[in-house]
Amino acid sequence: MSVPIVIFSIDDTRGTLLQKVLQHNGLQSKLIKRNFELGTVLSKRVPSIVVFDTKDYYSRDFAYLRNICSTYPLATVIALAEDSNVPVLIEIGVRDDLCVREPFNPDLTLAKVKELVFIKNKAHLKVKTYLALIYHLIVGEKDNPYIVFIKKVLTVIALLLSSVVGIAGGFTIWSLSDLPKIQQLEDYSPLETSSVYSTDGKQLGEFFYVHRKTIPYYKIPPHVKDSFLAVEDARFYEHKGIDFYRIGGAFLENIRSKGYSQGASTITQQLAKMLFLKPEKNLSRKIKEAVLSLQIESRYTKDEILGIYLNQAFFGARSYGVEAAAQTYFGKKTEDLSVADAALLAALPKAPSFYSPFKNPSGCLTRRNLVLKMMLNRGYINDDKYKAALAEPLPTEMERPAYKSSYFLDYLKNHLEKQIGEKLFTSGLKIQSTMDSAMQDAAEKAIKKGIETLTRNGDKNLQAALLAVDIKTGGVRAMVGGIDYSTSVFNRVTQAMRQPGSAFKPFVYLAAFKEGYTPNDVIMDREVTYFSKEGGVPWTPQNYTHRFYGNVTLRTAISSSLNGATIYLANKIGMNKVIDAARSTGITSPIYPHLPAAIGVSELTLSELVYAYATLASGTAKRPIFYTTIKDKNDVTIETDGLGEVKVIDDGIVTFVKDVLRSVVEHGTAKAAQSIGRPVYGKTGTTDNYTDAWFVGFDDHLAVGVWVGKDDNKPLKEDSSGSAVALPIWIDFMKSVVNK
Amino acid sequence: MTDNVENNKTIENKISDIKVTDTRVHEKQKELESGPIGLDIGTTNIVVARNRAGAPITMKQLNAFFAIPKSKLTARILSQNDVMYFAKNGQFYIIGNSSEEFANTFNTETRRPIESGLISPREDDGMNVIQALIKSLLQPPKKQGEPVCFSIPGDPIDGNSSVLYHESIIKRALDAMGYKPISINEGFAVVLSELQGENYTGLGISMGGGMCNICLSYLSVPVFSFSIRKGGDYIDTMVGRTVGEPATLIKTIKEKDLNLLREPSNRIETSLQIYYNELINYVVHSIQQVMASSDRMPRLSKPVPIVLSGGTAVVTGVKELFEKALKTARLPIQISGVRIASDPLNTTAKGALTMAVSEEN
Ligand SMILES: Nc1ncnc2c1ncn2[C@@H]1O[C@H](COP(=O)(O)OP(=O)(O)O)[C@@H](O)[C@H]1O
Ligand SMILES: [Mg+2]
Repeated sequence: MSVPIVIFSIDDTRGTLLQKVLQHNGLQSKLIKRNFELGTVLSKRVPSIVVFDTKDYYSRDFAYLRNICSTYPLATVIALAEDSNVPVLIEIGVRDDLCVREPFNPDLTLAKVKELVFIKNKAHLKVKTYLALIYHLIVGEKDNPYIVFIKKVLTVIALLLSSVVGIAGGFTIWSLSDLPKIQQLEDYSPLETSSVYSTDGKQLGEFFYVHRKTIPYYKIPPHVKDSFLAVEDARFYEHKGIDFYRIGGAFLENIRSKGYSQGASTITQQLAKMLFLKPEKNLSRKIKEAVLSLQIESRYTKDEILGIYLNQAFFGARSYGVEAAAQTYFGKKTEDLSVADAALLAALPKAPSFYSPFKNPSGCLTRRNLVLKMMLNRGYINDDKYKAALAEPLPTEMERPAYKSSYFLDYLKNHLEKQIGEKLFTSGLKIQSTMDSAMQDAAEKAIKKGIETLTRNGDKNLQAALLAVDIKTGGVRAMVGGIDYSTSVFNRVTQAMRQPGSAFKPFVYLAAFKEGYTPNDVIMDREVTYFSKEGGVPWTPQNYTHRFYGNVTLRTAISSSLNGATIYLANKIGMNKVIDAARSTGITSPIYPHLPAAIGVSELTLSELVYAYATLASGTAKRPIFYTTIKDKNDVTIETDGLGEVKVIDDGIVTFVKDVLRSVVEHGTAKAAQSIGRPVYGKTGTTDNYTDAWFVGFDDHLAVGVWVGKDDNKPLKEDSSGSAVALPIWIDFMKSVVNK
Repeated sequence: MTDNVENNKTIENKISDIKVTDTRVHEKQKELESGPIGLDIGTTNIVVARNRAGAPITMKQLNAFFAIPKSKLTARILSQNDVMYFAKNGQFYIIGNSSEEFANTFNTETRRPIESGLISPREDDGMNVIQALIKSLLQPPKKQGEPVCFSIPGDPIDGNSSVLYHESIIKRALDAMGYKPISINEGFAVVLSELQGENYTGLGISMGGGMCNICLSYLSVPVFSFSIRKGGDYIDTMVGRTVGEPATLIKTIKEKDLNLLREPSNRIETSLQIYYNELINYVVHSIQQVMASSDRMPRLSKPVPIVLSGGTAVVTGVKELFEKALKTARLPIQISGVRIASDPLNTTAKGALTMAVSEEN
């Protein structure tokens, strides 16, 4: 007779899947989805197995499950549950080892069912079982119910033994039956902070959940080690993991305070404690910790043990390990810590937040000085050093490295988090970014100066953004997403959708060149009224200067930014061609398929525009590149990024585009840029009412765009054209990166 | 589009020149078959599978049509040439394989009842065309309620379209024709047709013209399925746009002898490789996304296989590019290997047939 198995799951797929998995292993089960069906399957007098899937179960107190447990005492419940629901389930009477935690794990559930079937069928009483057992022991299958069973038998034997070797001996053996593996210490890969570097080798920033850095033992100066030994374990180098001498003292202490709280623990024991995930304070746990300590001592040298300990200890403020703590509290490397600093750190692990110098300076000071005193008493420091250290003040403010390129780091973080997930914050990666910190400095300075000038001239609430990218690689070399990251994290390079105005015009000319026009061809600049086919309002575009120029070449039309001629041209070749041309350079935002889009009424981001110009400059497709390589903490490259060479604009056409964008600088709206002293190309952009001012352009290496405007879309001051407002910032930046 | 309006005379002249190599299924052939049917209504092709002498056989028609104005002479030419068509609202709808030859003659493209995998909202007559095509491939059921299992896409993850409408419309049409319609997810059909040896456990992927369909099955339980609305057509369009050639030309080149592993010898091949790569990475990336966000995703202890099918998987090198994309992806399960289905263009229909047979028993 086999044991009835019932699966209860509201989620159809999960239920069916479990049923199939059981079936596949020769176990028939019944799947039910509604409460009342259960009574039709279970019986009060027959043992049964219920797999209860709590996913999507509507009531969090599981009254129904309670009911099953009390109505069918012979039913054994396996519960599939979120970790957070397990306590309730245990309280109801589900065995802890029969709670299968999420994520959904059909194989583990199967193993539990098999084990129960094995026991309920009384298979352990059959000869067949033992033959199978021997077979499986030889073949060595994991998760095998027979093996699980044998382990239980061993536990029972241990208990029986206790009657032979005395209670203590049996208890010890039983305690050891589930020791954590000591190897964990070696493969222990704690959460580590990832770092981002600039192309010129500077650290730009860090990504972490908890701040943790490991440092090799030999890099920790003696006075730092000594300070910890002084407070935690003065006889560290003498004992063998457990300090019986101290236990005696602690024992008396415990009798006085009635509990196990007094630390008789050596550093080795504290390390052993870290191997258990859940803290517990009972005798069996103490024994396990002690046994582990002995094992640790026999496996590692004293120096190694101290090194591991210092890298693992928790110092408060999300900081793990002495290196991270040194950074958090002092902004220093471990090597540079003073005696007083070291004493403060040694004071922390006992109660990190209570002794925090920021939260409780006086308590912290007292305890630090106590540590110094202990160091003096034990002869780690002499009197002079002691006095000097006492005089040192406490740190007053958390060291927060102020990163300049915050907008860039933000963007990189979001991008990488999507790509590699939480590893970004936990794996100690080294990210080689494309950013050049000198260029970033130049960009931030240029924006600052530009905005100061404009503010001085009476404009208010200004925002600005700058993006510089490498034309060849697509790498972001500098990014300023706004005038102050600390007051607004909104990135105006990648997030702000703005009208480009005339800065869009190059795509009209690109389309024209693709259609066979040349820069010297003549088009009409005159007053024309356009009637839309859909019956919209007739439209008569005006030039910025409010006059028309008659027959002009394409070159003049763009260098003087003539709206009349540009729209005439766009109308002639068709907006669909213009849109196709813009798309071919990588513009992805929606473009209004009518003539006004030719002079830039469709919103897009500065990033799109700069990358499109980089495509114009090179003829090859571009997309944003933020990093070149990512290495793991062992310096193995795990990711690389880069562009292929995909031609999207023919060389001849690239020459035409550069010709006309050069004439903007030589004869047109950007003459001021001649002061840069090397050939540059670009286009100004100014929108109606002066809400947006742009200059986007390039030299032989960099494509750079500058935008100035206001977040609320209010206009800038009168006459704030792209050439008056954005161009000076652009020029300033280009001049300062001359050597790149 | 005024220059496209031609008078009936020129149309008749033109079509009288068309040499139709019709692959129409002949009545006799249809007679031979009865029993359960698998049906794949794809963006590009409609494929029917049935069992004959224990082995599945398949027939297909292009899922496309071409409308021309009705006239007596045209009618005569069409029927003389054995061209499949029907008349409606003063037009002749030329359907199936022949529609392509007509479109070529008129220098335009065929119209499609299905757009990116779902019934096209732009074609009122789409369902009529599909119905006519099904009729051309199948004789009416011998007895009322013969099972037809037809494939439907998973819900697209790009865009907010639903397959419910698509599924119901087809169901109704088949119902009206006297069949008992059953639907099957296209990715799951791939699993049923290719992964019998693996206990129907693995990822079935169908890469067609209009979409890619993905389904993870575990011991024949579909754990999740979804689609993306990009496929072979997307590659044709994007490459066409990049190199400035019509998509139909790109399609011809692509289907001729593209090899994604060799050094590209011209711009078209370069772009084909780029967009093939993009599509494959997109598929792999979406799988990663869906797995990461699904709370049904089981923790699997054993690696599972991936099978690629559909016309877009036919090209040499797809398997290798897929394997490469998998290397950089972070899937919560292990993949034991990637392989191409044995008969990629007919995999879905065959899987649907398997389902229809099991439904009948
Ligand atoms: N030999 C081939 N090489 C490359 N692509 C092919 C080949 N045969 C068909 N295709 C492509 O496969 C797609 C059609 O595949 P199919 O599975 O029939 O699609 P659907 O599901 O859209 O009906 C089209 O994009 C077509 O260009
Ligand atoms: Mg298909």
